[in-house]
Amino acid sequence: MKLILAIIRIAKMSETKKALADQGLPSFTAMPVLGRGQGHGDLEKIKAYEGSEDILDDALTFVPEVPRLKSKRLITLVVTDDKKDLAVETIVKANQTGKSGDGKIFVVNALGSYSVHTGASGDDTLD
Amino acid sequence: MLLIRAIVRPEKSPVVMKDLFNAGFPAVTKMSVFGRGKQRGLKVGNVTYDELPKDLLLIVVNEKDKEFVVETIIASARSGEKGQAGDGKIFITPVEETYTISSGRKE
Repeated sequence: MKLILAIIRIAKMSETKKALADQGLPSFTAMPVLGRGQGHGDLEKIKAYEGSEDILDDALTFVPEVPRLKSKRLITLVVTDDKKDLAVETIVKANQTGKSGDGKIFVVNALGSYSVHTGASGDDTLD
Repeated sequence: MLLIRAIVRPEKSPVVMKDLFNAGFPAVTKMSVFGRGKQRGLKVGNVTYDELPKDLLLIVVNEKDKEFVVETIIASARSGEKGQAGDGKIFITPVEETYTISSGRKE
């Protein structure tokens, strides 16, 4: 049993939801979070202005000393071991634009799962 | 890799994040949470506040950086020299796999 933590763009939520449901993984929990990565996005913006010194100076004033926190969605889902790769691939495929800021996926071992509704436990409680 | 979950005072989270950034750990995910600790919340007169606002920081680091990052968080999240109840907790969980979505690569 694996817990998958995926931090994705808000705009990609509906696509991700649909993609996961199509693969037979409809259940997950999402929450709004703020986050930042290595800050490459800000660097890319400066590079876009390259060529003109004046504009570069202007652009630099807009780049904060510390990268800003951006609004993201954190989706968490627990899947059986054999569906881990499928879930990761589905999330990557739905969210990949190739630009920095697409997000990260972390896979953590989950030790147990219980259904509050039926009291059942184990893999049966998962999709 | 290790997932560090740090629950800190909301007013301390910018300090923690700035110190982590300056130490070379820019990547962090933050969310507001409510919680209580072993003091069972705050008691003021007859009223007990047991849903105290905190910030939860998620940071994933390599094993070798764990000690340093934890020490950095503790140093910056503590109130005063000795610290106080309510300063927060840090939990560490092993992360089995990490993927960057933009490249699709496993790290």
